Amino acid sequence: MSFEEFKKHSRLYVIGALESEELEEFERARAKFGKKAEDFITECYGLHEAFALSLRPAKSSAAIKERLMAMVREKKGT
Amino acid sequence: MRAATPTTRKRTRAGKPKPRQFSVSPPLEPGAPSDLDLMQAIQAEDPDALAQLYDRYNGILKALILRVVHNEAEADDLLQEIFMEIWNQAKNFSAQKGKPLGWMVTLARRRAIDGLRKKQAYARAEERLQNETEQQPDAWVHNATEEEIVLGDTRVLIRKVISGLPPAQQQAIDLAFFQGMSQREIAAKTNTPLGTVKTRLELGLKKIYDGLKELKDEL
Repeated sequence: MSFEEFKKHSRLYVIGALESEELEEFERARAKFGKKAEDFITECYGLHEAFALSLRPAKSSAAIKERLMAMVREKKGT
Repeated sequence: MRAATPTTRKRTRAGKPKPRQFSVSPPLEPGAPSDLDLMQAIQAEDPDALAQLYDRYNGILKALILRVVHNEAEADDLLQEIFMEIWNQAKNFSAQKGKPLGWMVTLARRRAIDGLRKKQAYARAEERLQNETEQQPDAWVHNATEEEIVLGDTRVLIRKVISGLPPAQQQAIDLAFFQGMSQREIAAKTNTPLGTVKTRLELGLKKIYDGLKELKDEL
């Protein structure tokens, strides 16, 4: 697999869209290209952030935050 | 802040390129702690930092979860679980591997898709998705107006990049990212050859990736 092909696969990989047979080939190429591959995959994860930011933020109730913080403080206290 | 266009692209970055993490995070208030500051404080077990991170991103993460599960109550439960997981897993976050928001989104998406699968709610969610698609409440297919672009809202700019894709590519990416579908599942759902689905995903993701890089240069 060339690095250009690896880049195509990386974009599919980060959104979980590689099929199992492609995944094996991808992992072999990932090991072959080393740090260059890891850097590119890291960069591709920026797609996640962008997809989330493309959505209109949704409101959630204040009770969720209260429950969350109570759980966190309880856990921290134990 | 301007929209990225071919004519306004900046190509002036000099020097040796460093490992890139293209991020299009929304701007912060002056003096506000960065996301990384907050993550580091959470790693040091500061609950107030988690509260600030929650205030900053609960709306975005809830929207993402809702897009996956299509159920308000389930989304609220998952949101709470996800922020608890952020607290519990903060030590696993590494700034070398990406930005805090990207890490949180990845975690939230995985959790939401797992939740959807565990509850075997695919059928119900698909029905709701179908209804919502017909009503087009907040679909990706969205034409940003010039006025919206001038307002400089990060969301609008990103959506402009996404909405530049052909609808079939948007749909394929939407089903893969927000519904966690494999290429085969997308092919079956859309009655499209597998090779076509793969091509749509590859082309669409590359265009978004390239568009976001240009956008980042402009921001």
